[in-house]
Amino acid sequence: MAQHDVEIEILKSGEVKVHIKGAKGKSCLTYAKWLTELIGNVKDQQLTSEYYEPEVKARIDLEQNLKTEE
Amino acid sequence: MSTVLVLTPVIISSWPAITAAVAGAASALGLLVRETVKEANAQNQVEVEQSVEVELSQSEVLAENLATGQEIVLTKGSIELRVKRDERGRCVVCAKGFGHTDAELKQIAEEFTQKLTQCYVYDKVMRELKTKEFQIVNEEVMNDESIRIHVRRWMD
Repeated sequence: MAQHDVEIEILKSGEVKVHIKGAKGKSCLTYAKWLTELIGNVKDQQLTSEYYEPEVKARIDLEQNLKTEE
Repeated sequence: MSTVLVLTPVIISSWPAITAAVAGAASALGLLVRETVKEANAQNQVEVEQSVEVELSQSEVLAENLATGQEIVLTKGSIELRVKRDERGRCVVCAKGFGHTDAELKQIAEEFTQKLTQCYVYDKVMRELKTKEFQIVNEEVMNDESIRIHVRRWMD
């Protein structure tokens, strides 16, 4: 099973920062679309360094996280 | 894959949902919910007060479940805030009070609209997260008054 983490920060101004982690491929963008439709308009969107890592390495990291939690 | 989004909230809601967010914001800022506009209009207002109106530009209050002229009146000391729906359907906060400049009243109204927006977004996001069966890992209010929510979901 894959672990999908979403960190949502609702700022004092009402603006919302969202960090979606662990979701690979299009599922990441699915989360982004879902939250955009829920909250409002996109002011900024960035792909983090994780995005540019090879998918295999990302998968290994994910598995390590899972093992750590077990 | 990972992404960071910054979203500007849009408030499109019925009056009861706005009322819930107003109550949350009022509580957070120490404001008392005093009365509705109908009761307030019955009073004779002889003295002239400074008054400033701030509009939530990204908002639309649906007319359903909303009586004509319905408002929420909030008070704190000599300050009075009125939350209402304007002719265009937007949510408006009007601040007034003796002994305060326009700039002070505008700042108070803007502070309230920000807190109202934050409460509205929080309520909406938490309801949706529960519906989608996310596990809440952590939730905290930071020193800068931002609210951080960390949720997790396991996918096959």
